[in-house]
Amino acid sequence: MLLENMSMAIHAIKANKMRSLLTMLGIIIGIGAVISIVSIGDTMRFMVSDLYKNVGTNLAYVYVWPKDGGDMRSGDYFKLDEMERIKEAFKDEIVYMDSEANVAGEAIKGRNKIKYKFEGIDSNYPDVKKINIIYGRNISEADIKARKNNVVLEASGAKDLFGTENAIGKTFRTTINNVTSYYNVVGVYRLDLTPIEKMMQESNDTRSGYIPYSLLVWPDDNLFNIRFYAKEGTNMTTFSDKFTSYIARTKNREKEDITFSSTEDEMKSVDSVMGGLSAAVGGIAAISLLVGGIGIMNIMLVSVTERTREIGIRKALGAKTQDVLIQFLTESAILSAFGGILGIAVGAGLVYLGGAILGMHVVVKPSVILTAVSFSAFVGVFFGIYPASKAASADPIDALRYE
Amino acid sequence: MWKKKKSQPVHETEYMGEDLIKLVDMVKVYDTGTIKVLGLHRVNLTIKRGEFVAIMGQSGSGKSTLMNVLGCLDRPTMGHYYLDGIDTANLEPDELSTVRNRKIGFVFQSFNLISRTSALKNVELPMTYAHVNQKAREQRAKELLERVGLGTRYEHMPNELSGGQRQRVAIARALANQPPLILADEPTGNLDTASSVEIMELFSQLHKEGATVVVVTHEEDIAAFTERIIRFRDGKLVSDTKNKPQIQTEEEAVTMQKEGSHAD
Ligand SMILES: Nc1ncnc2c1ncn2[C@@H]1O[C@H](COP(=O)(O)OP(=O)(O)OP(=O)(O)O)[C@@H](O)[C@H]1O
Ligand SMILES: [Mg+2]
Repeated sequence: MLLENMSMAIHAIKANKMRSLLTMLGIIIGIGAVISIVSIGDTMRFMVSDLYKNVGTNLAYVYVWPKDGGDMRSGDYFKLDEMERIKEAFKDEIVYMDSEANVAGEAIKGRNKIKYKFEGIDSNYPDVKKINIIYGRNISEADIKARKNNVVLEASGAKDLFGTENAIGKTFRTTINNVTSYYNVVGVYRLDLTPIEKMMQESNDTRSGYIPYSLLVWPDDNLFNIRFYAKEGTNMTTFSDKFTSYIARTKNREKEDITFSSTEDEMKSVDSVMGGLSAAVGGIAAISLLVGGIGIMNIMLVSVTERTREIGIRKALGAKTQDVLIQFLTESAILSAFGGILGIAVGAGLVYLGGAILGMHVVVKPSVILTAVSFSAFVGVFFGIYPASKAASADPIDALRYE
Repeated sequence: MWKKKKSQPVHETEYMGEDLIKLVDMVKVYDTGTIKVLGLHRVNLTIKRGEFVAIMGQSGSGKSTLMNVLGCLDRPTMGHYYLDGIDTANLEPDELSTVRNRKIGFVFQSFNLISRTSALKNVELPMTYAHVNQKAREQRAKELLERVGLGTRYEHMPNELSGGQRQRVAIARALANQPPLILADEPTGNLDTASSVEIMELFSQLHKEGATVVVVTHEEDIAAFTERIIRFRDGKLVSDTKNKPQIQTEEEAVTMQKEGSHAD
């Protein structure tokens, strides 16, 4: 009987192809929109977590920031030797530490000029981030200690500046912290950017490079910030407490004056933003499906009226209330579920198309598809109840007489 | 799939009494809100198993009203209607559906086939509601269509068939569940004479095989096929006579047509 109902429903839907399609349009658009928005959200979430996977989730930033809005004291900054002491004190937990300092400027060699943005790093930076050295070497411990003007340059920068990627031993001129001096290229590396990183790059004509972080101290050899990577598996919450206490003690500050932010926290806040987005999508979904459902109810009512005579015939031949009810419910459920499936095709199609165009890996979860189909079928049943019960309760003799 | 109501397994009643239809002081009043129209007045009527009956009368005399009551589509306002031993007065709508499904085969003036649905599916329909399985249903529907001379038109849609062919599909459908009673309300009303004769011959054939057939008509030529003619006037049964069927062969039918007798 169920199968019979399904085939009758498909028959009725096919009999009015154009009308069925237009009726389904509401559901198609609704489900399509939901699928694409949810998939875009999932893709973004995936991208962000991918990004953090690249950066590392155990990354943290620490600095002093008076909670009452009071002035910074000179002791609130970090000194290079202090950095060494902190590293020593937490050598069991901290893998890598620097001051998260950057410098941007213009490098000059003869008639060649490039814009650059150098990152100040410690010598063991390769422990936490891969640097693909193709010529020369990384920043060494000696470079850090002696605060040498040595630079590891990205290959395209080397090419632009020196006409060759192998620029080892070459020097260029630039002004950092108001002091103009010469810098030596000790290494050249190649940058392998993921499409997302490429997208997030500020501008294409800025070249990157690494420089000893000990060079980027100002004013008065001060560092504002500590950046460190904790060992894999470190509980950042408890470590944050321990670390903050230590800094507060050495700085003679309250614990509340120390700001500690980890990528874990950031990821949580990204997730909560995504959660908010999901809620908004849920709202859109609810409204569009409501509209789609009303469309289905409307057309089912028209269909029931048009087919009054058919209902009369069926009843005369022995159809019970329930038989007619289920027949029409099946029809509206199939109409709606079919709309849902088309909507998924449209939504997922758009997402994949967009992904293909942007060269991005997109995420369309099967669970989302399943939910969308069952939800649209549910909408069909729910909004089919009224028309179907109207059909089912028809009096056979009135229905047969209906012109 | 759906459990039958336990209260009254109506169609399973094993009543094998002689009387298939028994109306006792049956009154039908139409209440239109403003006025009450008397459809039928104190009708007493018994039809035995295997009879071939014509119901006749002028327009508005109550023929269709009677058919609706006999067909369990409508309930009497007063009095009783026993069909195959069942008092239909106390049945719920769904129980009436079951009675119609198992006890009655309907043939309507306007055919009442389900549109955009094949002849085969139309014939299967009563069996679908009787929960006969797909295979048995299809096989029986094919047999029935063959029997009414439409063995090559299973998949035709109603609008691809002539009026006479449509009515034959309707008759095949009426026979689907082997009901004890066949009710036909002006079955030839929309057909030309030749088709009308074909249809009436089909009914005669069914009657000879033991079916109880009740045909409403206002044409004497049609009534002539039957063995008993009951006449109504203004909602009252006015005469009930035996008839010896006369026109039986194709030849005579052609003659009848030549004489200009015309169904309108
Ligand atoms: N649903 C209804 N509401 C009110 N009055 C009705 C209804 N159906 C029939 N009647 C009335 O009952 C009477 C009998 O009608 P019925 O349809 O039984 O006549 P009939 O003999 O079938 O006529 P015809 O040969 O034209 O089909 C008529 O007066 C008609 O107006
Ligand atoms: Mg009538």
